[in-house]
Amino acid sequence: MLKIIIPTIMLIPLTWMSKPNMIWINTTTYGLLISLISLFYLNQPSDNTLNSSLMFFSDSLSAPLLALTTWLLPLMLMASQHHLSKEPLTRKKLYISMLILLQLFLIMTFTASELIFFYILFEATLIPTLIIITRWGNQTERLNAGLYFLFYTLMGSLPLLVALLYIHNFMGSLNFLMIQYWIQPLPNSWSNIFLWLACMMAFMVKMPLYGLHLWLPKAHVEAPIAGSMVLAAVLLKLGGYGMMRITTLLNPLTNFMAYPFMMLSLWGMIMTSSICLRQTDLKSLIAYSSVSHMALVIVAVLIQTPWSYMGATALMIAHGLTSSMLFCLANSNYERIHSRTMILARGLQTLLPLMAAWWLLASLTNLALPPTINLIGELFVVMSSFSWSNITIILMGINIIITALYSLYMLITTQRGKYSHHIKNIKPSFTRENALMTLHLLPLLLLSLNPKIILGPIY
Amino acid sequence: MKPPILIIIMATIMTGTMIVMLSSHWLLIWIGFEMNMLAIIPILMKKYNPRAMEASTKYFLTQATASMLLMMGVTINLLYSGQWVISKISNPIASIMMTTALTMKLGLSPFHFWVPEVTQGITLMSGMILLTWQKIAPMSILYQISPSINTNLLMLMALTSVLVGGWGGLNQTQLRKIMAYSSIAHMGWMAAIITYNPTMMVLNLTLYILMTLSTFMLFMLNSSTTTLSLSHMWNKFPLITSMILILMLSLGGLPPLSGFIPKWMIIQELTKNNMIIIPTLMAITALLNLYFYLRLTYSTALTMFPSTNNMKMKWQFEYTKKATLLPPLIITSTMLL
Repeated sequence: MLKIIIPTIMLIPLTWMSKPNMIWINTTTYGLLISLISLFYLNQPSDNTLNSSLMFFSDSLSAPLLALTTWLLPLMLMASQHHLSKEPLTRKKLYISMLILLQLFLIMTFTASELIFFYILFEATLIPTLIIITRWGNQTERLNAGLYFLFYTLMGSLPLLVALLYIHNFMGSLNFLMIQYWIQPLPNSWSNIFLWLACMMAFMVKMPLYGLHLWLPKAHVEAPIAGSMVLAAVLLKLGGYGMMRITTLLNPLTNFMAYPFMMLSLWGMIMTSSICLRQTDLKSLIAYSSVSHMALVIVAVLIQTPWSYMGATALMIAHGLTSSMLFCLANSNYERIHSRTMILARGLQTLLPLMAAWWLLASLTNLALPPTINLIGELFVVMSSFSWSNITIILMGINIIITALYSLYMLITTQRGKYSHHIKNIKPSFTRENALMTLHLLPLLLLSLNPKIILGPIY
Repeated sequence: MKPPILIIIMATIMTGTMIVMLSSHWLLIWIGFEMNMLAIIPILMKKYNPRAMEASTKYFLTQATASMLLMMGVTINLLYSGQWVISKISNPIASIMMTTALTMKLGLSPFHFWVPEVTQGITLMSGMILLTWQKIAPMSILYQISPSINTNLLMLMALTSVLVGGWGGLNQTQLRKIMAYSSIAHMGWMAAIITYNPTMMVLNLTLYILMTLSTFMLFMLNSSTTTLSLSHMWNKFPLITSMILILMLSLGGLPPLSGFIPKWMIIQELTKNNMIIIPTLMAITALLNLYFYLRLTYSTALTMFPSTNNMKMKWQFEYTKKATLLPPLIITSTMLL
């Protein structure tokens, strides 16, 4: 694992010591090289995990997330080049260092084998994200957004710290690989209920669960593009990853405790999808669609069947790439008209046809078109929730329809129709933007050829 | 203040604390406390204005009362055990009295009312000495009598201190009062763990002193005592603003900075002793502390406040204030995890 961590640490001296006109090129190139290294971890032995050291390990659940994280860093750097071009050099380097630091913490989080180590890094990812949102966001609401983000997550995760220390005391060690063999069933009692809640609330807030999702639209909308990308693509998946790890310790109480959260998720995904239909703010629409997709992941993780875990993993990876791509597309709009309102830049297909192709593909993957991995994820989740309870098929079906509705609404409003007369002199698409979209889309489409690698440890 | 006098007074302060830490005879400990208190009064009154005099008077009154209470506890212990050696206190009344006296000296709730007002009335340098060095002596005595302290009393004081420190600091804009409430809250964390594992208290004290020293030194660089004057720092010393950012997050106890170490260890010790609700409550209340630290960083590092000049960087003379030991202090206060 050090072969990924040390190069990522070394990216920071790279930014600070490069020549001013080479900082973007250097960091993007080496970031891409690091992501190539991480792809080697996708080759997992089928019955066990790849143990790298005493502290790090990677299995079929964390390897795709690791690849997603390292793949996203060069993409974030490419997306940030335009809005940082006017800033002084030191601030550019600071921004890039924050992104690299965040990347480092995320890599270590996904490969941590001890749960307290995981917790420390889970919290550590909050600091660079907070700095990116609050320092480099664009509107005054970003201060409030940073506060909501930090405090919602911390309120959920402090009980997790206490719970982890209690489990450490109880079981003797928190090394994830070892406690899998020492698990005792957790009977139903009031103190165990609180233990379950303490363990799970941190990840529920991070996912986010429907009732606790208030931080997400604020944070996503106010963050600069790299912040939005990493928030949507990776930080939400931290919640899913954490839930999938910690539910191994919490059986069979999960069957009893899962009901309120299942109801919140099932209802919430329909609610947030419906809100998307009425949004005027493009980034807010994508943010609420993230909540809706993550509610599916929560449902899948709480059901705890093999198919649902496969669906959750696939959905996390697919949603990461799709959501990040949608934010890049929204940002390309924002950089041209400096407004997030959708109807201000309509009819872009006549002006920027290639970008319209990327919009089309992104919207199609967002609504889970076959044979993309989005569909595999959603389909597995829908089928396993049907086996859990037959009635959920109605709610899931309504959700799929509304997802399709708002994705197409977003596509049609921004691309089709007559263009608004004041956007005739926007700049044409940069090659950098087209490359960004391609780099998002290629993994998404290629993975539909071999989805086995993202289906997780149960496959 | 003339240098020879300053040296003598500083030496007396240090000698006082040393005497407290190194003696085993209760009378000598009391002497050490009195020496310390009497010598620090001129330091508190360095600026000769009514506010400083009020602050020194309040400090003197509370500390003298606390010393007298301590003496009473010592006398009762003498009555029941017949010896002056500091060791396990056999009588519960004596133990409670001593604990109350020492917590009064520290500024734990419900004896915390003097801390913000005294800290506000004095200069930044004196405030630094007050909040860091002055905590060492009472803490060392609490460490030595820790087997006999009544746990319920101290835990109650600790819990209320954390709450008071959190809520009291929310409405403040003066930096010295913010640091005073932060001191109250951190003392609460330290008091909570003394009876269970005193070593963690020493760890917390060390890290707290390091972080508070760094914070005060950064404030002194700019001679800023209000949030407003701190917010002009981006104009003069942009690097210091990043330092303040990290230091404030470390004081708030965010991983992976070193301010998280004491909180983690204390919660670990408390859960090992089957207390679950109290550490959860303390941890969540520490978020209140984090809120006002974060508000400081918002105005300082993360936004650019409108300032008096229109240039990007203020032109100024060559920088002359000495920042002794500042880099190592900052590194140790943030990177120890």
